[in-house]
Amino acid sequence: MNVVNELLKQMVAYTPIYTLSSLGLVIGGRAGIFNVSGEGTMLAAASAGYIVALQTGNWLLGILASAAMGAAFGFTLVFIHETTKVSQFIIGISLVILGAGLSDLLYKLVLGVQLFIPEAPKVPEVRIPLLSRIPFLSAFINQNVIVYLTYALVILVYYFLYKTKPGLELRAVGENPKAADVVGINVTLTRYLTTTLGGALLGIAGGYLPLVVTGTYTPNITNGRGFIAVGIAIFASWRPERTFLGALLFAAIEAIALQMQLSGTVIPYQFFLMTPFIGILVVMWLFKKKVEFPASLGKPYSRE
Amino acid sequence: MNNATSTDKLKQLWLLTRPYVFALGLAFLFTGIMLGLLGFNVWEAFKALITTSFSSKFQIVETFKKFTPLVLTTFAFAIPFQIKFFNIGSTGQMIMGGTIATMLGLGMSSFRVPSALAIILILTAAALTGAFYALIAGALKAYHNINPIISTIMLNFVAMQFTNFVATTPPWQAPLTGHPMSKELPKWMLLPRLFSELHIGFLIALGMVAFVYFIMKKTVIGYEIESVGHNQRAAEIHGINIKKTTLVTFFLGGLLAGLAGGIEVLGVHGRLVEGFAVTSGAEYGTFGTLTALISGAEPLAVPAVAFLMSILLNGADSLQRRLMVPVELVFLTQALIVILVVTMRERFRKR
Amino acid sequence: MAKDITNILEARGVSKRFGEVQALYKVDFSVRKGEIHGLLGENGAGKSTLMNILYGLYKPDEGEIYIEGKRVEIHSPLDSIRLGIGMIHQMSTLVPEFTAVENIVLGTEESGSRLNIDFSRARKEILELSEKFGLRFPLDVKVKELSAGTKQKIEIIRALYRKAKILILDEPTAYLVGDEFDQLLSSLKILVDNGVTVIFITHKIREVMQACHRASVLKGGRMQGTVDIEKTSKEELVSLMFTGQNIDVTDSALPNVIPEPVERSEKPVCVIKNLNTYPIVKDGIVLKDVSFEVYGGEIFGIAGISGNGQKELAEAIVNPSIIASGEVIINGKTTTNLSTIDIFKMGVFYTPEDRVYEAILPTASIKKNLLLGHHRDNAFLGRMRTLRWNRIKGVSRELIKRFNVKTPHEELEIRKLSGGNIQKVVFARALMNPIDLLVTHNPTAGLDMASVKFVFEQLLELRRNGKAVLYLNEDLDELMIVSDRIGVLHEGRLVGIFNRDEFDKNKIGALMIGG
Repeated sequence: MNVVNELLKQMVAYTPIYTLSSLGLVIGGRAGIFNVSGEGTMLAAASAGYIVALQTGNWLLGILASAAMGAAFGFTLVFIHETTKVSQFIIGISLVILGAGLSDLLYKLVLGVQLFIPEAPKVPEVRIPLLSRIPFLSAFINQNVIVYLTYALVILVYYFLYKTKPGLELRAVGENPKAADVVGINVTLTRYLTTTLGGALLGIAGGYLPLVVTGTYTPNITNGRGFIAVGIAIFASWRPERTFLGALLFAAIEAIALQMQLSGTVIPYQFFLMTPFIGILVVMWLFKKKVEFPASLGKPYSRE
Repeated sequence: MNNATSTDKLKQLWLLTRPYVFALGLAFLFTGIMLGLLGFNVWEAFKALITTSFSSKFQIVETFKKFTPLVLTTFAFAIPFQIKFFNIGSTGQMIMGGTIATMLGLGMSSFRVPSALAIILILTAAALTGAFYALIAGALKAYHNINPIISTIMLNFVAMQFTNFVATTPPWQAPLTGHPMSKELPKWMLLPRLFSELHIGFLIALGMVAFVYFIMKKTVIGYEIESVGHNQRAAEIHGINIKKTTLVTFFLGGLLAGLAGGIEVLGVHGRLVEGFAVTSGAEYGTFGTLTALISGAEPLAVPAVAFLMSILLNGADSLQRRLMVPVELVFLTQALIVILVVTMRERFRKR
Repeated sequence: MAKDITNILEARGVSKRFGEVQALYKVDFSVRKGEIHGLLGENGAGKSTLMNILYGLYKPDEGEIYIEGKRVEIHSPLDSIRLGIGMIHQMSTLVPEFTAVENIVLGTEESGSRLNIDFSRARKEILELSEKFGLRFPLDVKVKELSAGTKQKIEIIRALYRKAKILILDEPTAYLVGDEFDQLLSSLKILVDNGVTVIFITHKIREVMQACHRASVLKGGRMQGTVDIEKTSKEELVSLMFTGQNIDVTDSALPNVIPEPVERSEKPVCVIKNLNTYPIVKDGIVLKDVSFEVYGGEIFGIAGISGNGQKELAEAIVNPSIIASGEVIINGKTTTNLSTIDIFKMGVFYTPEDRVYEAILPTASIKKNLLLGHHRDNAFLGRMRTLRWNRIKGVSRELIKRFNVKTPHEELEIRKLSGGNIQKVVFARALMNPIDLLVTHNPTAGLDMASVKFVFEQLLELRRNGKAVLYLNEDLDELMIVSDRIGVLHEGRLVGIFNRDEFDKNKIGALMIGG
């Protein structure tokens, strides 16, 4: 009972990493921009968030710095793509590498090489009285504020995309930019806004790692989660509500793998660490017939 | 008349190289400003970056040693990129190749076979390991339409864990070491030296450059790959099997990356060391991807750009050692060069 | 009909250049309020470019535009919509995943608040417009499931919902058959009676004569003049469209060629037997139990509305892997289990529907394009599966000469050629070796008159030499000019075969829409 609850709590604590990152990709993807730079964006954002939180002693400023760094990456991608029409994938991959370099560089430049890595101020937890005593449910609500933000964002993005006028216009841009253009929707502006905003969400997911999960920044702290986010967005068919389910699944895999590794079984721990990566391939294979995607995803648009 | 054509040629050359000149100029300008702001001596830094590789026999050899795996991982990306697929997995293919090479080498160490035979056997095994590992991603694309960007990266992480497992588990693990690494391979199994520290892997890599050029430019397979790259649908309608072509490109790419892993184990480290595929702060696979993108994945341009990149990487190491400039800064410059080169290439093509 | 003589729309001295092509040169163009104004010209004459400028999709290099006498600047479709211009594009510009209602309200400022759409109000208004103009369609079905004709109705209502006063229809009849054209005409009449002005773009003289009050003729980017339909003749329009070209044209503005009598072979070259296929694209159409024969010395035409199985039929012949059951027999031999390359070696070749996306490697040289499909011919193979590039170069040069491809050399990127020259390369590739059967799909699409004539001559030449041609074309007028027989495809079934003496546009058209 207690063990299960602990595991659940662990899982929910991991969920924002995957939800926010894949949600960020979905927002841009729905307007046609396929951002594969998640890993680099999250790394740079993790580094920026940690440094700012540490220097100011304020977790919120740290999270905001992460979001700003993420937004800068998203903006860079869409800016280069919209001005030159260079393949989104090439820019994305370059940004992955840029982010990996930038994250360590920032850290080294600001903090230097240190023997003892200081802990950044952590994002506070919020307990809801009474409700938090109910087993299982408590795992979902005895959490830090970013978890609550994640719940809210999933609902908000879903509502926005499927129930509002700007949401309809945004999806039109992703499905058929020409159709959106001829009825007077600004395709370029839509892509700028969504990709930059999506980048900010990826950034928060990146900042979440040092500011909630580990407390410190270490090189390569994302360890592939930025790529897993891309996988989740794909097999969730670029739908926000499904990214949450995908995120729960991968948070569970990560929590269980960690438990198994700590409890010490005959199976070497490396094989547990492989599971999320094999997991993505398995779910993509399982869902290959069911996945759908916006028709203009990844394609440049120009009138002439 | 003769004069006119030679200025024409010069003009053509300028048109061809213009995007690269602009991109490199801008990237170095940015790096220079960064270096200056951080309080480094910009002149000294650039001097070290560019001239280190030619400063001594040792440095020349170091540059060639970086070139060897780099040109192979560059092709590992460049060949599937001919048909617009991204093989980001050369890191995984390379370390799987190196890991299997080590396991095979350690397993063979008690049988005294001729050195040449052992080396050929081990390198072939490494190359095939890389090829089949890449083929997983190729098959996932060809038969299940799974994006190779995702699958190859996932396979990288799986490979890293597998390498760590082999390097930390008996019977392969070297006893009494902190860093994960395997026992040493017997000396007779290692690649012979050409001179000083330069091993014959360098020649093998040059041979592979010729091999790729032959396949891509002279054979039917090469024509089919090129055609699919130009227009997949037209190629398919006119009798080219897309699935088969996809598999072939991933197989060839993985083959070269796996070979790079085998060469690094037998030529440089003499054992499996976790991180053996890392140089100047990042994986050879990553630098290979960058190099391929800069060269436009053109088989003739790949070795030239890979060589320039090796000079830069070697310079970056010395920069870090002598001037304490973080190696990541050079890393950043390279990512920047890629973005600028592809951007400039596109910009100038439009005019 | 009482027409207001004032110009509702006027363009003065409009020029537009794309790279090296002068698409429009100092074009003057004026439309009167409440008329149907035809804009006539060959493919590539500049009709669509002019309209895209009026709609704000392209920026003109020079020139001025006036609406109701006032100088206006149109920078985007939004500007143009606000000025009361609506455009119905040749290719549907609806979002396939959305319903008709969603498509119509998309981007409008009126429907509901900034954040929400008042769908019930929008639906009511749409139904009212539908009734008024006789343009009915299902409101809540995803438009990807609707026919081209229905999509066109939705596009017209979409423009009217935005209070369009000027409606531009770009080649609106391209995908219409049978009485759909008459329906469109009567809807346009109602529109005009309600004060809407219509610009009707087409390359077919007959349509202008039937539908329009006045017409302007473009040729090579220059305005040739504007005529009153009541005071003009077909001959005058032809001379405006084709000045300087010595081509005899039919009233559909097609080259007037007359196939000579040819003896047809005793045995069929190609037998299609109970053919069923898999879909080529996800959820696409399949062929159902199709059987027919094509003989030597015969051009067998396939008619049908685009997407009724033409592509599947053509591809099943050269790519048996899409065949689910039944078989294709070429010269007495079944193609089951053969590859495309094997079938090419049996004397079959295929020129696919879409020139740029299916027929060529746009960024490769002419030489490499000519090799495509022949790249495993023994004549081109050396040792170790190498290609004999010198030989390929020689053959390329011969073909360029034989088919009169206008290019400086064989190494030029093919996309730098004009559409007509690209089609010459495509035919050169198909006819490189002697063949018994040519499968050709929409070979004339988007070509100018001289190139259309070239294509017809190639088909007739094959027929004269006793070869078989399977000629698929969505344009019935073109099929009827050169075909010996016409089969009609509807929803994947062959619903009728007509001999040349039975050709009747209305009967065939009725079958095309399942009548």
